[in-house]
Amino acid sequence: MIGADRVGVDPLTEYFDASMMSVSSLTDYNITKERYEAYLETPIKERELFEPFNGVVFADSGGFKFLNNAEIDGSDFEVTMNQETVYDIQKALGSDIIVNLDHPIAPGDSHQERVQKAEQTAENIHEFLNLTRDFEGAKYLTLHGYNYSMMTEFLEVITNEVPLGVLQEGFDGIALGSLVPKKDNRDALIKAVTDCREVMNDWGFENWPLHVLGIASRAIPILTALGADSFDSSTHLHNAINGKYNRSMMEQVPLDDVDFTECDCPICQSDLLVDRMRGNTEYQKDVLGPVAMHNLIVQKRELADLRQCIKQDGTDALIEYLEETFSRDKTMRQYAHKVVNQSLGGYF
Amino acid sequence: MKKSPKVNEVNEFLEIASDFEDPLEVIRESLSNSYDADATEVEITIQNQPNGSDIIIEDDGDGMNERDLESFFDLGNSRKTDSIGYKGHGTKIFYKSDRIEVTTVHDGTSYRAVMDDPWEKLNRKELPEYELTKNSVRSGNPGTKIRITNFRSGYGFDAEELTYNKIHHYLKWKTIAGSTAHYLGEDMREMEIAVTLDDAIDDTRAQLVTSNRLDFPAEQLEPSEGEYPAERMCKHYPAKEIDIEYEGGETTLQIVGMVGGKKTRNELPTYGRHSAQFGIWFAKDHIKVERLNEAVSHDNEFLHFFFVANCQDIELSANRENIRNKASPVYQAVKEEVEYYLSKVTQDPWFKSYLETRKQADRQRRTADQQSSLKDRRERIEKMGFEPDNKAEVLLGLERAAIEDQSLSLSVEDFDPNADVHAILRQNGRLRNAAVHQTLTGLFEEEVPLENTDIAVCWTHGDPAELKEYERNGYFGGEVSLQLEEGGLQYHNDDSRYIEIIDVESLLTSKAVPTADD
Repeated sequence: MIGADRVGVDPLTEYFDASMMSVSSLTDYNITKERYEAYLETPIKERELFEPFNGVVFADSGGFKFLNNAEIDGSDFEVTMNQETVYDIQKALGSDIIVNLDHPIAPGDSHQERVQKAEQTAENIHEFLNLTRDFEGAKYLTLHGYNYSMMTEFLEVITNEVPLGVLQEGFDGIALGSLVPKKDNRDALIKAVTDCREVMNDWGFENWPLHVLGIASRAIPILTALGADSFDSSTHLHNAINGKYNRSMMEQVPLDDVDFTECDCPICQSDLLVDRMRGNTEYQKDVLGPVAMHNLIVQKRELADLRQCIKQDGTDALIEYLEETFSRDKTMRQYAHKVVNQSLGGYF
Repeated sequence: MKKSPKVNEVNEFLEIASDFEDPLEVIRESLSNSYDADATEVEITIQNQPNGSDIIIEDDGDGMNERDLESFFDLGNSRKTDSIGYKGHGTKIFYKSDRIEVTTVHDGTSYRAVMDDPWEKLNRKELPEYELTKNSVRSGNPGTKIRITNFRSGYGFDAEELTYNKIHHYLKWKTIAGSTAHYLGEDMREMEIAVTLDDAIDDTRAQLVTSNRLDFPAEQLEPSEGEYPAERMCKHYPAKEIDIEYEGGETTLQIVGMVGGKKTRNELPTYGRHSAQFGIWFAKDHIKVERLNEAVSHDNEFLHFFFVANCQDIELSANRENIRNKASPVYQAVKEEVEYYLSKVTQDPWFKSYLETRKQADRQRRTADQQSSLKDRRERIEKMGFEPDNKAEVLLGLERAAIEDQSLSLSVEDFDPNADVHAILRQNGRLRNAAVHQTLTGLFEEEVPLENTDIAVCWTHGDPAELKEYERNGYFGGEVSLQLEEGGLQYHNDDSRYIEIIDVESLLTSKAVPTADD
């Protein structure tokens, strides 16, 4: 882990094994042109600061910002943001997984608007595939829609521009987008992921991994059970910022109420970091940094358990996991039941 | 100085005995007692008597010894620890009678206890006594016979109302005879229960014979033919035993149940209306006590469910109609578990398909209703021609008139049925505000402000006498003068306003009769 030597904790590469970056996290923040250029000078993993981080860097295209802004704003740096620039940035960051620049849809979009966004995305995909011929990492195709028909239509528009065979050859995975505005609507998320798997099956992408963009912790077990393979989430950070310490993926407690001896993670085992989490340090970042890391570890451990359940023969282990995770959570359990019934054979 | 609070024994007995009104509760008590005494057969006989009823309960159980008999007559001195009747209240209902005779054989001794005039004595504030005699008998034939003479039911209760049907349903719903324990594969003893009513009460059959099991109607997972395809659908949800930990202990919940349509539910005995009986029941000793229908969300309607959630750690009120320890952690934990279990049932795909079947059938019935209603409407059109019965149809007539007679130069540009001025018409190229009513009188009846109205569109003028009344009495401080022949009315308030009247019926020269398209 970064700075591990300074806080006396062994490197946490087991937990800190992948990082999500977005092109828009550079372009959207009010940094100077010099800083921007300096940032792109050295790939992330080659920087001394991040030694010995050797995990995966997944760089999103920043297309999500289209929801809020008409265009990604590169004007501060006199850069015109387009597919080519986005790819240049992804490359400069030293990314291992990249996605094409997409135009995500919004819940209120008309049919015409959705088709138009798919057409714009299709142009980018065409260009993306040309640009990335020599890219050595994995390429994920962005897919947008809330249900089977919308995703199919999206792919139909895309394949007008890029033949299906080229898509199948050129990409390695699917990144399902546009779900952030629906992040609290579990029914919608379940439908989107279930339908996406069906679409992938029907379009010959059945063996590809499925990444769900921007969806975080509480929905993760359910969506994983439905066939999503990876997520990008900053919940561990947000929870820490709000003074929340994760007891489990589902349960958070205020930092003041925490008995750190109950947790056996490397963070809570470190006297120095526990002392900091108790507030005995000058800077708030030193209080919340370890909390965020603890939260991440809790999530990662639980995900590892979840993966273990999925790998086992039969569905009993996974059902049991969902039971344990959701049985006392009135708002979530109906969705857990839905997953058990839809994908795991049901209870009765 | 320490003082002990005292109990007025007579009043206590009176109070407890009065708490029970229904002679059926005698049966509930007796069946539980017989079951606890390992009886395999129980016979209940009820005879109608001038002042009440004679109730005889006989079982082949282990009988009672002297100590048990004391408990039988004592108050609050039960020898049971957790099963029904542990408070020792139940048998005190027998005190509402003229005589209690108990004959019981236990371990080679026969006991006979007789109490005369218990009710009369209690009402005289006298504690009734019983005479106990005992004899040695050959061992091997244990059992108990209780005879209650002239049992007095509560006010307005008549033994004659005790039909076999009613007793049967009561047994299955309210007593151990309706136990669902057998679904749990427990070591449950079978008990045959026979009830005989004398002919004066019910002569429809000689006897009712049943067991101590409540069986769900047969499963039927697929819809039936016919108008109500879901009505006989039924699914059993297998019995489940769930260990529950709560703050302060642990307990076991046993839950079993079924989901079914109306016809299925009708196959089950019911005590009272179905709506008062179906749902999610809490039970103790597998005897249903109280419902927790909120365990299924409102949109799922508890009526489709019949679940029995048995837990020995719920505690009952003295009359056993309610749960007493609802505030306890154990009840809360059990309740949550029941809700959780039911949340799985309501998300079961079969249950969803059952609801879907109901919905589809409902839709089909609506389609059929539509067909017959459409047929009526079409027949009416054939017979009567076009006859608007709402504002939109009046405008439809107006548009039709405009098509027939191009010189009218009229079209409807906008319609808002909720506004006072419902429509905006284009007349000779100009936009004009129109209030639309079936009759002109309707405009006045609905008290439409006329200040912004240019045209009153109506199908007919309506009752001329009523219109005259407005002319005579005025309208909201103003005056109305009707010029129906000229097709208008003058409204004088602060201002004077001429409102054109379009009487649609007269515009349609002949009533259009559309040609049938089939």
